[in-house]
Amino acid sequence: MSGVSPPGPWRRVSWVVLVVVLGVALGVGASRGGQPPTATQRADAIDALVRCPSCEGISVADSSASTAVAIRHTVAARVRAGQSDSQIDAFLVSRYGPGILLRPPVHGATAWVWVVPPAAAAVAVAGLTMALWRRRSRAPVAVSAEDRALVRRAQAARAEAGTGAEVVRTP
Amino acid sequence: MTVTAGEQPPARPGTRRRHTTRWVAGVTLVAGAALVALLATRPQQTATEVDTPLVGQVAPGITGPTLAGGSFDLAAWRGRWVVVNFFASWCPPCQQEQPELVAFAYAHRSPGDAALVGVVFDDAASTAHGFMQSTGASWPAVIDSGGQIALDYGVRGPPETFIVSPGGIVVAHFDGPMTNAALDYWLARAERGGL
Repeated sequence: MSGVSPPGPWRRVSWVVLVVVLGVALGVGASRGGQPPTATQRADAIDALVRCPSCEGISVADSSASTAVAIRHTVAARVRAGQSDSQIDAFLVSRYGPGILLRPPVHGATAWVWVVPPAAAAVAVAGLTMALWRRRSRAPVAVSAEDRALVRRAQAARAEAGTGAEVVRTP
Repeated sequence: MTVTAGEQPPARPGTRRRHTTRWVAGVTLVAGAALVALLATRPQQTATEVDTPLVGQVAPGITGPTLAGGSFDLAAWRGRWVVVNFFASWCPPCQQEQPELVAFAYAHRSPGDAALVGVVFDDAASTAHGFMQSTGASWPAVIDSGGQIALDYGVRGPPETFIVSPGGIVVAHFDGPMTNAALDYWLARAERGGL
């Protein structure tokens, strides 16, 4: 009788190895920051996430409007003064409101923008895992002697009828 | 086919279609004329009060040279209601509101009364000065080099107007062209503590 065999020890080991390799790769990737960003790089990164207040849907990094230029200068000055990204964001929000940030804040009404995608991904992965687990743990279908005899008779009948079909021997 | 007396002959399809076309054309013409009349006679755009983070906060400082060649410091005007107006000569709503501001400044010319200060927004000083002179504006207008004052006030585009209390608190922020009457209304309301 053939069927799906339960996972053997090698299969479990391969899963463990896969998880370990993935974890190490993520750890190495996260820790490989290289040199800390320069003040200019930091200012550029902040500018790219600040909305131009007098434009339509573009960042101050991509705009030449006077308001965008003034914000770029302010961001650069505050970075040079040693302020953190969140301090600079807070200053701009205190002037223009939260809409000045192209990246929504993680708190308040906009938190769902950050929470929903990872939550949906987690639910999808959990659902897929459960479905695969159920499929694997399902009892294999047993083939009875009557079934085999039925198949043999059908194949013999087709061969006699001259359909050209080959008789396939099954174990 | 014979038609007896008192019996209406059936309308021919072509005639009926012509009547329908005339009706549709007539209604379209009347609707178009009404729309043109509505657009031509509608009131000009006016300022709207906007709720921004600065309202209720200490007014950012305004210091710098003025178009007339002097210097200005908002802190020196503590104890008076101050109307801060961001403007530019190239901005049509600013041109629209300028006579209203002139009227407001004239009505409040008494010493200690509400004062008006302009802040030049993204405009050449010479052009802005010419604009002020040509409209008879006599209030100080501060040159905002680099747009730092506009940034401190969260200005997106002119005209924008702020009312600053005698204690130096921003009590209202308006977007769009102001009128003399609107400024008086909001000032009176602010003095009553209604803002």
